[in-house]
Amino acid sequence: MFRQLRQALKLATRDYVHEWQMSACFVLALAAVLGPMLVLFGLKFGIVGSMVESLIEDPGNREIRPASSGNYNRAWIDAIAKRDDVAFVVPKTRSIAATIQLSSPQSSQIVSVEVISSGRDDPLLAGQGQLVKDLNQVIISQSAAEKLQLEAGDTIDGSLSRRFQGKKERVHLPLTVAAIAPAGAFSRDGLFASINLVEALEDFRDGHAVPAAGWTGNAPLEQRSYPGFRLYARSIYDVADLRDNFTRNGINVVTRAADIEMVQRMDNTLSGIYWAIAVIGLAGFSLSLGASLWANVDRKRKELSVLRLVGFRTGHITWFPVLQSVYTATLGWAMACGIYYAAAWGINRMLAPQLNAGQQVCRLLPEHYLMALGLTVAAAVFAAAMAGIRATRIEPSEGLREI
Amino acid sequence: MTETHPAATDSRASAATIYQLKDVVKTRESEGVAFSLRVPSLHIAQGEKIALIGESGCGKSTLLDMLAFILRPTSIGSFQFVGQEAGKSVDVALHWKKGKLNRLATLRKQHMGYVMQTGGLLPYLTVHDNIALSRRMLGMKDDATVRQLAGELGLTRHLDKYPDALSTGERQRVAIGRALAHKPAIVIADEPTASVDPFAAEKIMSLFIGLVEELNITVIVASHAWRHIKQLGLRRLAHHTRRSADGKTTETVVSG
Repeated sequence: MFRQLRQALKLATRDYVHEWQMSACFVLALAAVLGPMLVLFGLKFGIVGSMVESLIEDPGNREIRPASSGNYNRAWIDAIAKRDDVAFVVPKTRSIAATIQLSSPQSSQIVSVEVISSGRDDPLLAGQGQLVKDLNQVIISQSAAEKLQLEAGDTIDGSLSRRFQGKKERVHLPLTVAAIAPAGAFSRDGLFASINLVEALEDFRDGHAVPAAGWTGNAPLEQRSYPGFRLYARSIYDVADLRDNFTRNGINVVTRAADIEMVQRMDNTLSGIYWAIAVIGLAGFSLSLGASLWANVDRKRKELSVLRLVGFRTGHITWFPVLQSVYTATLGWAMACGIYYAAAWGINRMLAPQLNAGQQVCRLLPEHYLMALGLTVAAAVFAAAMAGIRATRIEPSEGLREI
Repeated sequence: MTETHPAATDSRASAATIYQLKDVVKTRESEGVAFSLRVPSLHIAQGEKIALIGESGCGKSTLLDMLAFILRPTSIGSFQFVGQEAGKSVDVALHWKKGKLNRLATLRKQHMGYVMQTGGLLPYLTVHDNIALSRRMLGMKDDATVRQLAGELGLTRHLDKYPDALSTGERQRVAIGRALAHKPAIVIADEPTASVDPFAAEKIMSLFIGLVEELNITVIVASHAWRHIKQLGLRRLAHHTRRSADGKTTETVVSG
């Protein structure tokens, strides 16, 4: 039985090779439809993909800032932090109080920097957020690091002053530079610090004592409220919902949701256009593939009847056109991939000046190629099997006597 | 078997049966003309050489196709086939009834060779492989049989050619080679020389019958030319064709 199946497959292969001109026509016809479809999908995927990528890459797109200063307590912020759609949130103190003057042994300059409350998972720090802790472990922005000629691990002096009970007071605080912040994190002179340090600065300026730093003053605050917070959504797609949520609770926020929505709308529009074309293309493709395979089986009806006459089982005869259709599908697909490669290369090269390095307008992932192959082979096998079964249903004597 | 052909009584009494048909009927209709072939009784013994002579359209091909199990009879009284000598008889009627087409295909593969009027060769196989096909189907090894047969059929120098490079007569000889290569019990040939000029036809037919005799294979040949067939010593199967007065029905009765 396997011998017969092997025979049938061998004969199908020999027939396919013997008729190479006809086979080449089928392969070309398939590639002519499938190739442009791959290009189309590559364009859609590449354009939207690179836009979405640049949106995702910039954490600024995920930021949600309060539009004006408010009054938030710690419990409220902790509750926000627990939300699934929030990647990072940290309270902010009054910005006027959040500054510190830095000096280093390497530099004669004294640099006044903004102190930004930070911590673990801060998206601006690209995974270094956990280095920020206690009152002395800080991350410094690149421009400040340059002015002070700092490297990671250096110790610097931070100082701040206040007018307290009629006297001017200045305190000093040794700080360790745990890391230098990535270039895009903060463009001005800045210092990423733990919320403890930021609170300490504010408390000192307000005349309160900070026992942890050894600073004296009025009794420490019991209840603290924050005028703002730094918040980043988990993904750009969560920004709009979070914004709406804040707005419902009476907090006006500033986001880049509008930009994100535009890209999403564009994605939807392009997807819509793509699918419309794809459905029409796929229908045409299936019809042309089905018709050509069907016609091919019809053309070979007499030969298939001869195989039955010499004693092939009907099941094995059905394999004959099925195997040939697999050849056509695979070769056609390979050729379509070639067409796609050439087209994508041309398009990407043509548009390269308008793109960032590494960005591609026309792009497909390996799974897309495999998907195309799977669909093509499945459609081809289906059409050929249907035609093959139909061919075996005809009485052999009838198939043989046809002219 | 009640009805017997007088000329063949003796030989058939001793030889084993290969076909035994009773009340097998095939009817079909095309363009308002009903056609029917009736076989009240037919007995063919192993080793017999049978000729079916008649004009085209009288039902020769229909009978041959039924004997080759590639055409389903409309009704069957009984239809027995014995492939091997002293083998068990196969109830072909039952296989048709149960739709066991693959069982019938296997019988064909093992015990039968079929020569069509034209064509029937696979265009993508060389002459050698076309002849060897019937052997390969059975897993028979590639020995000298194919070459020897090709030699006897005068095809030696064509062995590596494809059918489209051959003349009609050469193709028919290849078809004969394929029908005989696996040494079947029976060969059925439907006007194997009809598409060849009369001179070549006689030559091919003589060659064919000679090989069949040499290999001791039962043969059934349809032809429209009796004169030459008769010289080769074939038994003619009796049949009558009746056409109704209005020309709307044609009935052929075959028995023997």
